[in-house]
Amino acid sequence: MAQVSPHTRFGLGAALTRTEDFRLLTGQGRYTDDNAPDNALHGFVLRSPYAHARFKITDLTAAKDAPGVRAVLCADDLDSMNDLTCSTLMKQPDGSMPAPRDIPILCRDSVHHVGDAIAFVVAESIYQARDASELIELDFEPLAAVADTAQALDDGVAPVFEGATSNLAYTHFEGDKAATDAAFAQAAKVAEIKLVNNRLICNYMEPRACVVQWQPDDDAFTVHLASQGVHGLRDTLAKVTNIAADKIRVITEDVGGGFGTKVFCYREYPLCMAAARLLGRTVRWTSDRSEHFLQDAHGRDNVTTARMAMDKDGKFLAIEVDLIAAMGAYLHAFGPFIPYLGVSMTTGAYDIPTMAVTTRGVFTNTTPVDAYRGAGRPEAAYVIERLVDQCALQHGCSVDEIRRRNFIQPEQFPYTTPAGRTYDVGEFEQHMSLCMERADWSGFSQRLSAAKRTGCLRGIGMSTYIEACAFSGSEPAFMQLQADGSCVLKIGTQSNGQGHETAYAQIAAAELGMDYEDVHVQQGDTATLPTGGGTGGSRSLPLGGASSLRAGRTLANNIRTIAGRELQTDPDNIVLEEGSAKVRGGNEFLSLAEIAALGTPAELNTQGEFQQAEATYPNGTHICEVDIELATGVTRVVSYTIVDDFGVTVNPMLLQGQIHGGVVQGIGQCLMEHVVYNDDAQLLSATLMDYALPRADDIPHFHFETRNVPSITNELGIKGAGEAGTIGSCPAVMNAVSDALLREFGHGQIDMPVTPLSMWQKLNSLRDRADV
Amino acid sequence: MTVNGKAVTADVEDRTLLVQLLREQLGLTGTHVGCDTSQCGACVVHVNGASVKSCSVLAAQCNNAKVLTIEGLADSQALHPMQQAFKDNHGLQCGFCTPGMIMSAIDLVQNNPDPTDAEIRDWLEGNICRCTGYQNIVSSIQAGARMMQSR
Ligand code: FES
Ligand code: FES
Repeated sequence: MAQVSPHTRFGLGAALTRTEDFRLLTGQGRYTDDNAPDNALHGFVLRSPYAHARFKITDLTAAKDAPGVRAVLCADDLDSMNDLTCSTLMKQPDGSMPAPRDIPILCRDSVHHVGDAIAFVVAESIYQARDASELIELDFEPLAAVADTAQALDDGVAPVFEGATSNLAYTHFEGDKAATDAAFAQAAKVAEIKLVNNRLICNYMEPRACVVQWQPDDDAFTVHLASQGVHGLRDTLAKVTNIAADKIRVITEDVGGGFGTKVFCYREYPLCMAAARLLGRTVRWTSDRSEHFLQDAHGRDNVTTARMAMDKDGKFLAIEVDLIAAMGAYLHAFGPFIPYLGVSMTTGAYDIPTMAVTTRGVFTNTTPVDAYRGAGRPEAAYVIERLVDQCALQHGCSVDEIRRRNFIQPEQFPYTTPAGRTYDVGEFEQHMSLCMERADWSGFSQRLSAAKRTGCLRGIGMSTYIEACAFSGSEPAFMQLQADGSCVLKIGTQSNGQGHETAYAQIAAAELGMDYEDVHVQQGDTATLPTGGGTGGSRSLPLGGASSLRAGRTLANNIRTIAGRELQTDPDNIVLEEGSAKVRGGNEFLSLAEIAALGTPAELNTQGEFQQAEATYPNGTHICEVDIELATGVTRVVSYTIVDDFGVTVNPMLLQGQIHGGVVQGIGQCLMEHVVYNDDAQLLSATLMDYALPRADDIPHFHFETRNVPSITNELGIKGAGEAGTIGSCPAVMNAVSDALLREFGHGQIDMPVTPLSMWQKLNSLRDRADV
Repeated sequence: MTVNGKAVTADVEDRTLLVQLLREQLGLTGTHVGCDTSQCGACVVHVNGASVKSCSVLAAQCNNAKVLTIEGLADSQALHPMQQAFKDNHGLQCGFCTPGMIMSAIDLVQNNPDPTDAEIRDWLEGNICRCTGYQNIVSSIQAGARMMQSR
């Protein structure tokens, strides 16, 4: 286990400012679209205005002849390309595998959601490309469409794919049905809850983009794109285009947020490759915000019924979940895996002997659904944490008491859940108690009365979430001592704003006794990095951080060896500090630049790789208070307290930033963010005018602290933190909203998002009910 | 017009937006485009000293104007106090919203040298950040305001 000191200037635990900031603050960041050369052609995708239709392209002449147009590509021009496939089909209860529903790069004769791609116009300017796309003559024959997840399987609902008998994409079961049935049969009480986890759109601030150059000499491509890891994307591009992977160099520089949704290969990248080769010119494509809404994978969208069996003391006996998960119009890359990842965390932080979870993936005429910050785990935490509150209500005890009775106890670790996950450590009750203290839980009644005097209902709610991060695997790090005495650290994760350049550097620099600003982290180029797993699942620091430490430690040992050789002393006598190798207790030293001149290439280039066997399990307690204004229905988060367990903190400043940002995405889902399709599956919330994102004045000031219990699965004790804020927040906010309504009306169920309108309607219906 | 103190002449189409002129013709890619409905504020620059969404003004409208972008703030290696405050207070993550946030914040502080938490949050109504959760942006702006005063 690494030494952890919150006071070190370097290494784990230091709140260092970021090395990447200077360029980002001065306008010198290099986001994908910033790389386009002056003479690049612009691509524009003509997208379907219908959710479901047959179509024929009847005439391209006018479009092709329009000013500035260099090419118009249709499905027929892409015969050598393969569809985008789903890599995570789930086995069904009868042992069969479901049929795939792959995404064509361009649709040939039918479209399945609004925004489905029909043609790709390439012109000298973006305006010319857009103008020309309007000259493409098309015949559409609209077909019936379905958008609503809960209704997708109903009798008589139009099939998303013509000729299909149902919209069922697949069924998956996890758990033990017989044991669960038996537990429910002897239960003293059963709590049940029905929840909708609303569909979201990621809305990173940097829209996706790509810039593709083709080199005719060796038929090779350089593809700049915004990603969460270049290697996976290169391999997918190779598969789709039938071009050898070593002919495709993928580069990602600065990325303006990814949140899971930039992991994937999207249609525009192979389209730009095809156009670049066809025309022998650089081709660029940049999404506008509306296209982001139509094309980039959506998130969440679950309809869930969950039941808990309890004994007479409120001890949980079994949990049963029926989950309908929207897949959209195709099976996206990880589409079916996302609900599964949630299902694997069904039992949360509680000791529940058995579970039975049935997932049905359903097609609708909507944009495909895939990973968005948390990817399945926010959905799971939402279900269990809301259900546990319902259990408290049913059993007649407080929400903290029901949790105390059912938490996995410290002495039960390692603890294997009914879903087969093994938690290494955890102190759930202690976190909850500390958070309640910090949030002044016991003083709530005074705040409640004060709120009442201002015409508001007030509620308080908590979530004691746990999630799974990092997962088994590794992320090797490569270090090199440079001629000038600085270091390069190459690693195949991809910062999307988390601050990898600083975090990895501070870990490695501590081993080398050098300034972290002299360790230059490089990511995002398949030509200079042999491998890389990318960023996702909060894996970068648990896996990449441990590998960086190993690479740094090996390099430090080599430097001592070189210095010992040169200064004729035992390497153990060499200390590394202030960027030099010194003889312990003496005056002799060598600068790292001198060391670089003396070492062999093998000594100066090191590799570190930490293999992790299991996931890590960050957890913690969030407590939220909300005010609901009776006169307007406006719900506001008025206080928010977080006590988290991330194992070991690398950089508390970066960590706090991750949590704040994650919680705000959760608050956004609870109070405003919402994808709305109408009955014809038209996307009504397709701009930032229609899809509300949290702004500064929607958000309170947070109290955040850690109470870390180091992981024993991870070499550095790190658990991962990128997604935790999003996972803990939704149930805390919604339990608070529900608490406010329960206190006033005795009924509390309302779905996300709690907009002023939906709350206003809810208040009216509750008042009506009270009048009867 | 002048951009970051330098005289600039360019031929533009009538429909060219200021942000397109800056990014595409002048190569000033520090000003970003985050939306198409004037909501996000990633494109904020100063025109004649006031913050303006450069996606919502035509380049031709800025004839003879003084335009200041994020690239024109720092004095070679020395960051503007507001930039420094964002660094010190971790007011940025991915950095995509940051140029707009900083240009907007400087305009606020020019008119309100000591803004409260609530005034800052209210002012940032036209700037969206998806990464930071705003708290560190608010702290950055307060610190930046103090540093601008003492300069
Ligand atoms: S680009 Fe979004 S407001 Fe200007
Ligand atoms: S720092 Fe990423 S959008 Fe603000």
